[in-house]
Amino acid sequence: MADVAEREGQLTNEERDILHDVGFDDPQSRAATGVLADREMRIAMTTDPGVEILPLAEALRTYDFVQDLMFGLVSPEANEHVAMVAEHMHDPLGHFVWVKPGAKVKLPVQTFTLLETPQGRQFTHDITLIDEGAEVEMISGSAVPGSVHKGRHISIGECYMRPGSSCRSVSIEHWGDGMEVYSYGYSRMEAGARSQSTAIMMAAVGTHLSQSHSILEADTNAVSQAIIFAPEGTSRTIDTETHLTGAGAKSEDLARMVSAGGRIINNARLVGEAADTNGFLGCDGLKLTDRGEITAVPALQAISEGAMLSHEASVGMIDSEKLDYLMASGIEEDAARNLIVQGFLSLDDKAIPAGLRNRVVEMIAQAKSGGM
Amino acid sequence: MLELRNLTVAIEDTTILDGIDLTLPEGELHVLLGPNGSGKSSLLATIMGLPPYRVVSGEILFDGSPINDLDLTARAELGIGLAYQRPPSLDGVSVRSFADALGAADRLDQEAAALDLTDFLSRDMNVGFSGGEIKRWEVLKLVLQDPRLLLFDEPESGVDLEHVIAVGDAIRRVVGAPDQKGRACSGLVITHTGLILNHVQADRAHIMKGGRILHSGDPQMLFGHIQSQGYTVPAA
Repeated sequence: MADVAEREGQLTNEERDILHDVGFDDPQSRAATGVLADREMRIAMTTDPGVEILPLAEALRTYDFVQDLMFGLVSPEANEHVAMVAEHMHDPLGHFVWVKPGAKVKLPVQTFTLLETPQGRQFTHDITLIDEGAEVEMISGSAVPGSVHKGRHISIGECYMRPGSSCRSVSIEHWGDGMEVYSYGYSRMEAGARSQSTAIMMAAVGTHLSQSHSILEADTNAVSQAIIFAPEGTSRTIDTETHLTGAGAKSEDLARMVSAGGRIINNARLVGEAADTNGFLGCDGLKLTDRGEITAVPALQAISEGAMLSHEASVGMIDSEKLDYLMASGIEEDAARNLIVQGFLSLDDKAIPAGLRNRVVEMIAQAKSGGM
Repeated sequence: MLELRNLTVAIEDTTILDGIDLTLPEGELHVLLGPNGSGKSSLLATIMGLPPYRVVSGEILFDGSPINDLDLTARAELGIGLAYQRPPSLDGVSVRSFADALGAADRLDQEAAALDLTDFLSRDMNVGFSGGEIKRWEVLKLVLQDPRLLLFDEPESGVDLEHVIAVGDAIRRVVGAPDQKGRACSGLVITHTGLILNHVQADRAHIMKGGRILHSGDPQMLFGHIQSQGYTVPAA
């Protein structure tokens, strides 16, 4: 196990606490751990020979093929932010995670990004390769200390899922309430790959643009759920685009959005490009106050004759009949509202690694009560 | 326990209930009989304090004190509970999380078992419930809430005979038993078909029509009269 316990840097107790809130656990209980703090890779270690994790700069030097993966799914000129990250590639910063062919990784792989410098500027590029027939669970998180509320983070993520691979993932973000965050994710799922992903965006942030672009080849299956919260002062734009390019590809994309005075725009686009493809978009929004706004724009495009695409979208306030029903049972109005919102945001928790479920539920409850 | 004095109720400017007088003593179970649109459900909703019903005149007394000005939650806290006829679905709100919010989690398993509802606990409230399941769940909801005045809005409507028996037995049990503090309970049950009368021991019945109580008397006698004469006042 040549890779075991390499580069186990030190994290302070405070850093551990911050990361714990976004999913971090003792690296010895994880198959692999990567922690990037400001511009330094603080931890890159594995406990499972089926996984390799390296700082991206080192991965580029170690493996020829990594340079082909880098900007393999997105052009370095795709937009001004991607170009900005590409310009920093003389000293690339980010994780390279490789789940080896056929590996059945029992413990989760965890990767985290910390921005610890107030008004810091962080540009990262992560590459994940889940090789043929491999199976893995991944937890990723982004966080700042409580003292950091201004700064800018731009990230690119490229994920390659090789034929027959399988991944269940959860990502949790907890940025500062005045930060600008731009994240761009690209993925390609090759024949027969399976993916189940959960994104938790509960904490306040100044401006967040999240764009993702996925290509699903033949007989792939991708299920994603996103839980999105925007308190007053938070503006989030979530753009997703999914292309079903191979026969038999299936996709289900669910977004649950709650505005407590913030702004959420969700543009979701599903494109059926091959026969026997099946896709569903679900975008539901709940407004808790008269302030803020939610815009849900699901778009379907069927190019192939055999593409079956559908969507559901709804945006509204809490249903007064439901509120009255709970209050008539003796539940105070605030508690009744919380119960309804909690229900609205309820996750398919089977999609979340077992050790993380309670933490995610607590986080959702905390965010709604203004605790985040 | 409950006294309605010359109660007139409107929705916006339309009178729905007109001069209702009704007394429900502690420990008794009464039934409301009446055709569709007679105001039975409106009466229960008004007692519970549900919008959009507005008391225009008259009084609702609970344990001798007026409750006209109390809101929904305050009435529930006093000990009034309503089993809905058609409750809303609450996606994502499980029966167990509801019991937690109500502070009744410690009684949930035992009470659910008594109503043969143990497989309900992880289900979302009223989501995908059959007609019979809704009726049984509404009874369990009241048991968890532990009210002293139990209002049932057509507990036998739209369900098969097996569920009518189960729900009737459950109503008889929860109204007949004291609350958690040992106080006697009372019940007011709307029945459209009268089937529930075969399964509960009602003390008194009231015929409603056109927003008024036409007549009050022995339940079996009144139901027999309705079957032969319709919703009319029996001859003296």
